[in-house]
Amino acid sequence: MSIKAESISIKLGQRQILDNVSIEIPEGQIIGIVGPNGAGKSTLLNILSGDLESSFGSVFYDGKLLGEISIQQRAFTRSVMAQIQPLVFDFSVKEIIEMGWLLKGATQLMAEFDHAVKEISVACDVDSILERKFNKLSGGEQRRVHFARTLLQLWRPSESVRPRYLLLDEPTANLDLSFEVLLMNILRNRASKNYGILVILHDLNIAAKFCDKTAVLKNGKLLCFGCPKEVLTESLLSEVYGLPIKIDNHSNIITYY
Amino acid sequence: MESVTEKYFFRRFLYHINGKQIFIINLLILSILFCSSIAISYGSFGIPVIGLILGKTSEIQNIVFFEIRIPRVILSCIVGASLGISGASLQGLFRNPLADPGLIGVSAGAALGATTVIVIGSTFFPNLVLSNFLLPMAAIIGASAVIFMLYLLTKGFGYQGVTYMLLVGIAVNAIAGVAIGILTYISSDEELRSLTFWTMGSFGGVTWPLLIPAIVIILISIACLIPAARQLDLLQLGESEAYRLGIDVQKLKYRVIFASAATVGASVSLSGMIGFVGLIVPHLTRLIGGVNHNFLLPGSALLGACLMIIADLLARTLLQPAEIPVGLITSALGSPFFLWLIFRMNKY
Repeated sequence: MSIKAESISIKLGQRQILDNVSIEIPEGQIIGIVGPNGAGKSTLLNILSGDLESSFGSVFYDGKLLGEISIQQRAFTRSVMAQIQPLVFDFSVKEIIEMGWLLKGATQLMAEFDHAVKEISVACDVDSILERKFNKLSGGEQRRVHFARTLLQLWRPSESVRPRYLLLDEPTANLDLSFEVLLMNILRNRASKNYGILVILHDLNIAAKFCDKTAVLKNGKLLCFGCPKEVLTESLLSEVYGLPIKIDNHSNIITYY
Repeated sequence: MESVTEKYFFRRFLYHINGKQIFIINLLILSILFCSSIAISYGSFGIPVIGLILGKTSEIQNIVFFEIRIPRVILSCIVGASLGISGASLQGLFRNPLADPGLIGVSAGAALGATTVIVIGSTFFPNLVLSNFLLPMAAIIGASAVIFMLYLLTKGFGYQGVTYMLLVGIAVNAIAGVAIGILTYISSDEELRSLTFWTMGSFGGVTWPLLIPAIVIILISIACLIPAARQLDLLQLGESEAYRLGIDVQKLKYRVIFASAATVGASVSLSGMIGFVGLIVPHLTRLIGGVNHNFLLPGSALLGACLMIIADLLARTLLQPAEIPVGLITSALGSPFFLWLIFRMNKY
């Protein structure tokens, strides 16, 4: 079971945003995407989530063509965390998180609902701000709240074996160091529960440390896709970012300044 | 298990209202009953309600009560409800706290539709004008056209559309004002009399045959809007987020646009343009109860109804036996509130 993109190409205006990109997100793995700005990372994520339609190529969820899956069914299969717009009205943090709960009305699951909200807000460290107004939070806190909502969207009764996928667009932006690590650890934990995860990252070290596979994207082309150790090499990264990038042989720490 | 989870997907709106909000809704229903019982007994012609129940009223009192007073109170009630809920839904749909059917030109579009039928229609189809459904239908078409145009014009603007939409509203109001002015100029004396009340709004002169189609249209629209409440909540996260949470955003838009247009059109066709109710009522409702649409939509309808009954009672009793246009009262209360809202928005 996997989300699979086959030879995706898309043109917006005269610009080729993505050129023949194929990628697969299997269950239980974290796939990282890195690359410079404007490489087409977010566009690829939007095509995988179904927000955008590609000009060529197709996306499959568990072998089924994305276009044949209803909007509701998609919501049950994958959740997305992307750049967010400001809210106009004063919703509380709790209300925002609860918007991720797709199963409202299933009365036999209501006890599970409270449990799931509590568990996820503790995990994302937002349980102390549940009653506050979302608009009054800092940018980093807001991202944590949206992350919690994204997780709640994929909550399932424990006996469910249906595949689920998380697609994240720079989830660590605006987060301080401890929350960056917390978030990546949550992702590892979810991967061990068989979630398939795609995450766009800026920090190469985080990508090298936490991802099972890494894809490097530049100018809409997938340069390579594989185990981070094999993919994130000094020569490739230096070429992609146009910077002299060094990788320490013992600690595997990537430095670029 | 999977079949259970997905079966319940569409029902999730049911559970998004809390105990305090249910209490406020009940309180509002009681206030409507209380206000309308006062409104039906006071007026330039006094009617003792207790006497009426006991059957001790005169013939003329009965006629005033059943043919004038009751339709009038019902009309103010449904017009208030319709403006309140359409304001709340449009604010939610456009994610714009300043959206109001009057300010953004929807009421003006409805009034233009109605006046066109009154003036032009009587020349071409003298018999059709008498049809009780023609006037509200023309108003609804005018209102839909304006909302649709607003939607097209603000599509690419997202959150920055707040002021932009108001600017478009000014333009639409001006265009409709000119068109209504021209129609007034070419209209006959008899038609003119029915035109004058569009600009200020009034509940006078309503009769049962005119009222019943409007009640039907408004109740259907409200019944169509309230189940969309949870989807409007999720829409606050942005269109693409709502879509990712499983909402067919396009369908939701059409639903809200046409239901709001229908309810505004039907109410404008009977009472003319009554300003600021659609703006103030949703904000007051949010202040007393919360921002979630499962509470906001019914709450705005009820609060709008309640306030409009009071406004109409004031309009016809303050300067007895003369009558102040009800639109004057709502604008007098609403415009300072509008200024306050703009002031508060600038602080963000």
